[in-house]
Amino acid sequence: MKGDTVRTRQRNTLLLLLAPVTLILAAFFMVPLGIVVVYSFLEPGLYGGVEWTWYPFNYGRILGWPLNDYEEFDPIYLLIFLNSLKFALLTVLFSLLICYPAAFWVSRMRAGRKGLVLFLITLPFFTSFLIRIYAWLLLLRPTGFINTTLQTAGLIAEPLDMLFSGFAVVLGMVYIFTPFMFLPIYANVEKLDHSLIRASQDLGANPVQTFLRVILPLTAPGIAAGSVIVFIPALGNFIVPSFLGGSKVQMTGNVIERSFLQSRDWPFGAALALLVMASVVLVLMVHAVRSGRSRDRVVA
Amino acid sequence: MRGRRTPLRRVWSALFNGYGLLFLAFLYLPLGLIVVYSFNANPINMAVWTGFTLDWYATIFRGASVEGNFDAAFTESPERIFAVVRNSFAVALLAAGLSTVIGTATALALARFRFVGRRFYQALLLLPMLVPDIVLGIALLIFFVGAGIELGLLTIVIGHVTFLSSYVFVVVSARLAGMDTTLEQASADLGAGPITTFRRITLPQIMPGVVGGFLLAFIISLDDVVITYFIAGVGSQTLPLFVLAMMRRGLRPQITALAVLILLFSFAVASIGLFLRSRKP
Repeated sequence: MKGDTVRTRQRNTLLLLLAPVTLILAAFFMVPLGIVVVYSFLEPGLYGGVEWTWYPFNYGRILGWPLNDYEEFDPIYLLIFLNSLKFALLTVLFSLLICYPAAFWVSRMRAGRKGLVLFLITLPFFTSFLIRIYAWLLLLRPTGFINTTLQTAGLIAEPLDMLFSGFAVVLGMVYIFTPFMFLPIYANVEKLDHSLIRASQDLGANPVQTFLRVILPLTAPGIAAGSVIVFIPALGNFIVPSFLGGSKVQMTGNVIERSFLQSRDWPFGAALALLVMASVVLVLMVHAVRSGRSRDRVVA
Repeated sequence: MRGRRTPLRRVWSALFNGYGLLFLAFLYLPLGLIVVYSFNANPINMAVWTGFTLDWYATIFRGASVEGNFDAAFTESPERIFAVVRNSFAVALLAAGLSTVIGTATALALARFRFVGRRFYQALLLLPMLVPDIVLGIALLIFFVGAGIELGLLTIVIGHVTFLSSYVFVVVSARLAGMDTTLEQASADLGAGPITTFRRITLPQIMPGVVGGFLLAFIISLDDVVITYFIAGVGSQTLPLFVLAMMRRGLRPQITALAVLILLFSFAVASIGLFLRSRKP
């Protein structure tokens, strides 16, 4: 009898603890995402809103099967999406190149200084995202810090056209997402088994071989994790391109924003958002499968 | 340092340190530039130094009463700034508070109970952090409009709680994972009920994680742009949306001064949070 009441009480406690999160995530996360999926297959209403009819042409407009005789296929959305993929991948690549050596730099420090530097690298993550973009506007614009300094020094006659370019967008995203890339790589580098590196050296490997055959494979999980968590927010970004890309450089995020807040074509925006979401899910699945496999290999 | 200090090793080490300093400079010089610019008297081009001034800060607190350097078309009144700051703080306190309760409860459930669906919850809780902001933003917009819920501060709070609970969950779970459960068992063996055990034993031990999670949620809520952008109503502007609108109208010294104040505040809160989290369980 007593065992029964204890078990009942435990079950009630568990239900009580899980109820709020279940409610919140079901009502305000799962259901809204489900509605996005539904919306993406509905016909856009003439003055905003939706018609409840089956309408696969939101995807058609993006991927190339437009509604016949009514719309023409415009590859612009697909091109913008491919461009967003390119920018997100470049952001991953450059933040990786910047953060990888930095992680080794920090891992070689003595404890006290290490704590301070880790704190300094983490801190920008907690500071306003907009203000960090604002800083780059002040740096890159024609009358900004870089151009004014170079002109005053007499190195250039005309201001360089740096703002409103793919370069500025990628630079801005690298700057914003640096802590995202740094921390997983650092966590991995910090755990690195230095005896394996010494063994490789003792066995006559040159530094390049040691790096490629020992250090790189051992830090691959950190690289993969960092790449995934930089890629996701970079792909759907619209704030960075709207300020640093201007009207010249568009990402899918900008098109989604416009179709929701300006042209009021919600189903089309929903379809684009799901395209972004599908890419994210794909990346996460590949990452899950690959990291699962490498864990198996370590165990074997 | 292991091994001999050969000249090659010393050069390598110097290169590494040089690179590291460049890395930190890359992170901090842009922010330092904002701080310097906020004291520059030049109202036209912030990149040309014409003298030291506190006028831009004064326009934030006193508005038009500052003589000379006042650019009415681009300067917001102190009342307006105060209103959006109040909105932001109300949202952040409420959203962080709710997320802390929800996230902590979930972390306790997953750490202290074994049940069917535990792995499902573990995966589910990671999702709100992995879904791109813009997707969650438009999903909530469609949902609120469809459900007939008027967009405003309440919808912003709800939107923030959906993803902030996950952040608190991660921070508190990390704390719970490093915790010794013998004290909890001892407390139960000595006849304390689950509530007493939680209040007297578990809660004090996970407190740094709970406070750290709260501060993290608070600072993320205070800074959130994308999700808030989609689910804020007409009369419910928050500080980031206000800064966004100002930036779209053009770069003015007043934004720079406001930016410095925001930076100082978030540095202070983040420092407390990181300090709490760095203390070992």
